Amino acid sequence: MNWFKQLFSRRHLYDDLSREIQEHLEEKIEELVDSGIPRKEAAATARREFGNVTLMEEDSRAVWKWPSLESFLMDVRFGARTLRKSLAFTAVAVLTLALGIGANTAIFSLVNGILLVSLPYPKAEELVTVTGAYPQGALVAMREQMHTMDVAAYAEGHDFNLTGRGEALRLTGTLVSAELFSILGAQPELGRIFDRGEDIPGQDSYVILSHALWQQRFGGDATMIGRSIELEGISRQVIGVMPASFRFPSTKTQIWIPLHNDPRSVFHYWAGDFMPVIGRLRPDSTLEQARAEIRMFQSQARALFPWPMPASWNAGVSVVPLQNGMVADVRVRLLLLLAAVALVLLIACTNVANLTLSRAATREKEVAIRAAMGAGRQRILRQLLTESVLLASLGGLLGLVFATEGLSLLKALLPADTPRLMDVRIDWRVLAFAGGLAILTGLVVGLAPALHISRGALTESLKSAGRGAAVSVSQRLRGGLVVGEIALAVLLVIAAGLMIRSFWALSHVNPGFHSEHILTARITPNESYCGDATRCLAFYRNVLDQVQSFPGISGAAFVNTLPLGGRVSKRSLEVEDHVDPSGGTAPLFWLNIVTPGYFRVMGIPLLWGRGFSDADVSGTPVAVVTAETARRFWPNQSALGKHIRLLDDKSWRTIVGVISDVRAYDLQRNTPNWIQGTAYVPYNPTATLEDRRVPSEMTIAIRTASDASQIAALLREGVAALNHEVPVSEVKTMDAVVTEAVSAPASTTSLFVAFAALALLLGIIGIYGVLSFLVSQRTREIGVRIALGAQRADVLYLVMKEGARFSFAGIAVGLTGAFLVTRLMSSELYGVSHLDPLTYLGVALVMAAVTLLACYVPTRRAMRVDPIVALRYE
Amino acid sequence: MVYDRRPGADSPLMKKPEQRDLFPGALEMMILRTLKRQPLHGYALVQHIKRTSNDLLQIEEGSLYPALQRLLKEELVKAEWAVSSTNRRVRIYRLTAAGAKHLQREVSSFERMLEGITRVLTPGES
Repeated sequence: MNWFKQLFSRRHLYDDLSREIQEHLEEKIEELVDSGIPRKEAAATARREFGNVTLMEEDSRAVWKWPSLESFLMDVRFGARTLRKSLAFTAVAVLTLALGIGANTAIFSLVNGILLVSLPYPKAEELVTVTGAYPQGALVAMREQMHTMDVAAYAEGHDFNLTGRGEALRLTGTLVSAELFSILGAQPELGRIFDRGEDIPGQDSYVILSHALWQQRFGGDATMIGRSIELEGISRQVIGVMPASFRFPSTKTQIWIPLHNDPRSVFHYWAGDFMPVIGRLRPDSTLEQARAEIRMFQSQARALFPWPMPASWNAGVSVVPLQNGMVADVRVRLLLLLAAVALVLLIACTNVANLTLSRAATREKEVAIRAAMGAGRQRILRQLLTESVLLASLGGLLGLVFATEGLSLLKALLPADTPRLMDVRIDWRVLAFAGGLAILTGLVVGLAPALHISRGALTESLKSAGRGAAVSVSQRLRGGLVVGEIALAVLLVIAAGLMIRSFWALSHVNPGFHSEHILTARITPNESYCGDATRCLAFYRNVLDQVQSFPGISGAAFVNTLPLGGRVSKRSLEVEDHVDPSGGTAPLFWLNIVTPGYFRVMGIPLLWGRGFSDADVSGTPVAVVTAETARRFWPNQSALGKHIRLLDDKSWRTIVGVISDVRAYDLQRNTPNWIQGTAYVPYNPTATLEDRRVPSEMTIAIRTASDASQIAALLREGVAALNHEVPVSEVKTMDAVVTEAVSAPASTTSLFVAFAALALLLGIIGIYGVLSFLVSQRTREIGVRIALGAQRADVLYLVMKEGARFSFAGIAVGLTGAFLVTRLMSSELYGVSHLDPLTYLGVALVMAAVTLLACYVPTRRAMRVDPIVALRYE
Repeated sequence: MVYDRRPGADSPLMKKPEQRDLFPGALEMMILRTLKRQPLHGYALVQHIKRTSNDLLQIEEGSLYPALQRLLKEELVKAEWAVSSTNRRVRIYRLTAAGAKHLQREVSSFERMLEGITRVLTPGES
């Protein structure tokens, strides 16, 4: 008989069976009666000799079943009934687990989308990145010499003015090797990608548009392919549009433009952009071989430069999978979050296990009856576990809803530049994770109570009123769970506390300037326009004059790199009488080119000497340095009157002032570690950048008490009136710039705080629950004590002692745990040790206070025990 | 279920592990053998087995039914409702061709096993 027929004929089979057994019994009785035995006795005998009818029938039916599946379904049905019967328990448990599973699923979907899912390129496992950074010259050499992989480089942070049709627009561009797209294996949505050789001067007047730009600016017009657009005053042919899903190197890129690999412009070729390099391993090449080859290349590369390169340049270079390279920065942060959220789930599990244990007391009798009816221990265990897995699955389903909601919240909360954030979604892996987690959670939650109940002494439970037996074991288990729970909560709260302290320190760092009431905007004429330095300078001069006439302006100035603005302005300088210990001739400086009044507008304190005046723009060459720089190059003496010279500049500049340090790179560091000093020079034709041109990308800082949006509108109008081909971009207040600089730690911190709060709440519920249970178990004892003359204070002491024991043990374990594991997060901490005693002490005190408070409610109930009532009913 | 009923053994209601089948398949084999002789219904079947074994084997009557269901499922026997000589509705089981073949195989393998055991238990004969 096939299974299909079986399924449908089963009812029929069972009916036959029952009838048959019935007939059997009757026949037997009949026969016995015939032999002279009274009917009543005959019936008993027949039954005895037949055996357990129910069991036999069940065994007979079992022949036709898939026994494990069906008993599982039965368990599920039974479990569902049980859960429905105690709705309050079910609701609390499901909600608790849903929070835990939901939070875990949301964080896991981040980890999944960012760290686990492979990059959206064909054969992504072959893609690698070289850990160093190389200028064009070195890249070209590498491209020729490498045999294990094909390489390409890209340079972010190149913006272009789009002029011609409509309002001038500033576009975010990425310069790329011609091979970049083909190495990634990316296909255009429209048109074509760059061909080999299209990054050579004369063959590089092309541009590829992003999908978003094509839609927004060009209305998705397919005839754009082959047409030319004006970028920085240069006409480039649009050859392709990349699909929306292509986001390399980041979502910010709006246009891709070929590198301009020109060996004749020596400086640009060897010292322009130091670019990240990606590659695709050739067939039959391994990562190891690529590593060996790049080390070999590196050992010869320094000799290629037209000037000596420091030995430290790209020392220890290696090749890593592209995916790892792209997400290296967020990896630690994500894993920390995952660990934190896992702790929350663990606490939630503990809580539910505890709840289940409380229920266990009332279910011992039920289980005992089942055992008496012939259910084996395994069978009972399976039933109880099915029930808790069912509970956790409900929690998992609800958790998935939470996770979906939470994920959109998370995406909004995380810094927008988090790599691959757009790739994050709930996919099958996340679903599998949530499902697996729910089942695992169910097992974890159910195992201890199930083992405990199913072990319960049968007869004891049946005899007593379902209480008394094994209470001490249960009590110990519950105590252990609550101690663990508090310990985990302590650990999480300490972690959150450290994050808060670190964030506090970070956001209270003195950035060296006053960010209030400053509006900033980038005003960027075409590079070619600034080829004529005087014209460029005059333009900026005019903008400043105009801004001064706006209402409520107390000052305005230009700077080439705004502090915390995400750009670095490096420039080799000579320092008079300074010999670089590492052998290099000209130390690398961060060169700020500013208009007079900049220090005053930004509120940067002048320590010694003076700032720039209008006279400095055309007078004798001068410079200002920061305190850190002064200490470094002229220790124990005044920097005033000393001389520095921009490399290739004709005249030495006299240092006329020393300002206090400015957090220019990020809030933790003034400058990146490869920069040796910071100098400021007035904006004039001799103030050139690394490419020996005056900067054409200046940012205006306006100190104003007026409404920022009003000033911004005036600024746009004013600039357009001066030159309609000059876009105004990145308009934001200095406060917003500072906020962006802390957005990553801010989001991590707020997540940690949320998790810690959740942990704390669950911990409180846990200790409250255990103590309530304890009190209800000991009502009689307390009644007796009161009857015998115990005072309220005695009862208070009695109960609180129990609570305090759990609380202090939990805190002690938690502190020890924190002491051991917070080391893992030290890379995320700023200005606070991971063993910060203040945090530890504070958290311990708060936890003690909060948990004891949670104990107080059940304690009060115990103090109100009426001895007469307690003794009568027990 | 076939088990030796030792004096003082517990009531058959409480299953204890040591009271399991002497060896699996024994009851099935006896059912098949009995049915080979003539088709019977459940009650008659159990009575026959009890009688023929001279009550040496005590069969818990109910245990017949799971065994019969197993045989039905494997299509070694088939069953149909009929009316007995005593005018009862009974379900008559009869051996199928597959059942007969199966019985033959089982019996011969059982005999080999028995022979082996016997040889070991009576040393010196071989």
